Amino acid sequence: MERPRHTKVAIVGAGRGGHALLDLLHRVPSIEIIGIADRNPAALGLQRAHELRIPVVTDVLDLICNHGASLIMDVTDDPEMETYLHAHRPPTADILSGSSSRLLWELVQHEFKLEAELLQSEKLAGIGSFAAGIAHDINNPLQLILGLAENLAEERDLTVVHEQAREIIEAVKRTSAICRDLTRYSRRASPREDVPVSVNGKLDEALRIARYASSFHDIEMIKHYQPGAAVLGNPDELLHVFVNLITNAVHAMEHTRGTLTLETAVLHGEVNVRISDTGCGIAPDKIPEIFEPFFTTKAPGKGTGLGLYNVKTIVNKMHGVIAVDSQIEKGTTFTLIFPNGEPAGQGGLS
Amino acid sequence: MSEFKSGTFIGGEACEGRVLVVDDEPDIRKVVKMTLQKAGYEVLEAENGEKAIEVINSGENRLLLDVVICDIRMPKINGAEAIAYFRTNYPRVPLIVLTGFPDTDMATSFLRQGVVDYLVKPVEGEKLRAAVARAMDQRELARL
Repeated sequence: MERPRHTKVAIVGAGRGGHALLDLLHRVPSIEIIGIADRNPAALGLQRAHELRIPVVTDVLDLICNHGASLIMDVTDDPEMETYLHAHRPPTADILSGSSSRLLWELVQHEFKLEAELLQSEKLAGIGSFAAGIAHDINNPLQLILGLAENLAEERDLTVVHEQAREIIEAVKRTSAICRDLTRYSRRASPREDVPVSVNGKLDEALRIARYASSFHDIEMIKHYQPGAAVLGNPDELLHVFVNLITNAVHAMEHTRGTLTLETAVLHGEVNVRISDTGCGIAPDKIPEIFEPFFTTKAPGKGTGLGLYNVKTIVNKMHGVIAVDSQIEKGTTFTLIFPNGEPAGQGGLS
Repeated sequence: MSEFKSGTFIGGEACEGRVLVVDDEPDIRKVVKMTLQKAGYEVLEAENGEKAIEVINSGENRLLLDVVICDIRMPKINGAEAIAYFRTNYPRVPLIVLTGFPDTDMATSFLRQGVVDYLVKPVEGEKLRAAVARAMDQRELARL
């Protein structure tokens, strides 16, 4: 594949605009952010740049002249800075500033909004396939409750009455947990700040949700969790990532019995999550396409083709990477590597 | 009570008929068993299609089994597969589907295959017993 030409971008200004640009641009393979500068050392975007391992430069002149910038993005909204940049830029570098920069900011905002919409639509499209699983999980306890209640109406033995009444109470509790899980999953991911999230907890929650989407009946489960594994991110989005990957894994084993393995490990300050199946595998020529939007191997109407695209978007937003290893008829492993998000204090995990 | 067919419930011995309940949920097997035992049926259990086939092929069951009540969504051999097996190998044993998921297409296809009833959980005891009684009638006709 021909590699697109790199654009080397220097960002001037690390306020909200610079912060958003970092988040957006660092995910585009053809863009290299050579650095970001701001007069204010406490600027929001500088912290983000550190997290993304993007160089923070204190001297604007050094940033725009000495690192081969081909595009200087000025998001300071400061006319003096604009003048300064035009006076000092190297002849090879273009400048984006003033109203064009504001326009870019609008577009970036729009892009984030669209991304959130896309995520939500894909999630809701997926929930359609939960109907059979939900019906099964609600109607079975209802049958138990109805059967016991019918019996209670005639039962004279008080010991039996007490025992069966308790069974009804437990069945009602189990059933209400279904609604709790589903409402939590289906809600729009709240645009809150990143928080430490327990990876093991989210994997288990995702398992409960994924069971609605597909039958786990003939699937053996293996879990190897490292206690306390945590990442920084949005809990709702991470849940979505795991539900997607687990559902795919189970679908890959639809026609064969198989094993689903979930592993978490903290290695060299990074959190590794592995989701493996022993299913049909992905053809080698398809692997480069799987994270592309609208790529799907499922029958029309069965998949949106946005699942893995959204997974990758979220993982990258969390400064993580995702890799896939697959062999036809042997199975597939997705490996996710995140920066360690262990909370500094006793803040608790989401 | 009306749930006991006159004359066939003798001295606490179940003899209305022998019913096999196939469901992966022990809770469901338990309440269905409870409901049918009250009406004088003897109830056998199987947790999936594979076990159901084992049960029907063991001992005298192939001769004495009167009705099979079968779930659809189950591990190993699922309900649809089990039903196909029963229809082929034991065409005279009436089948009742008892499922948690109402699916019109599936219901039509099962009824075409000769399934006596397609019941959706939760089903009241009275309806379940009526369905089993209808199935028993079919069984009697098949024996004639």
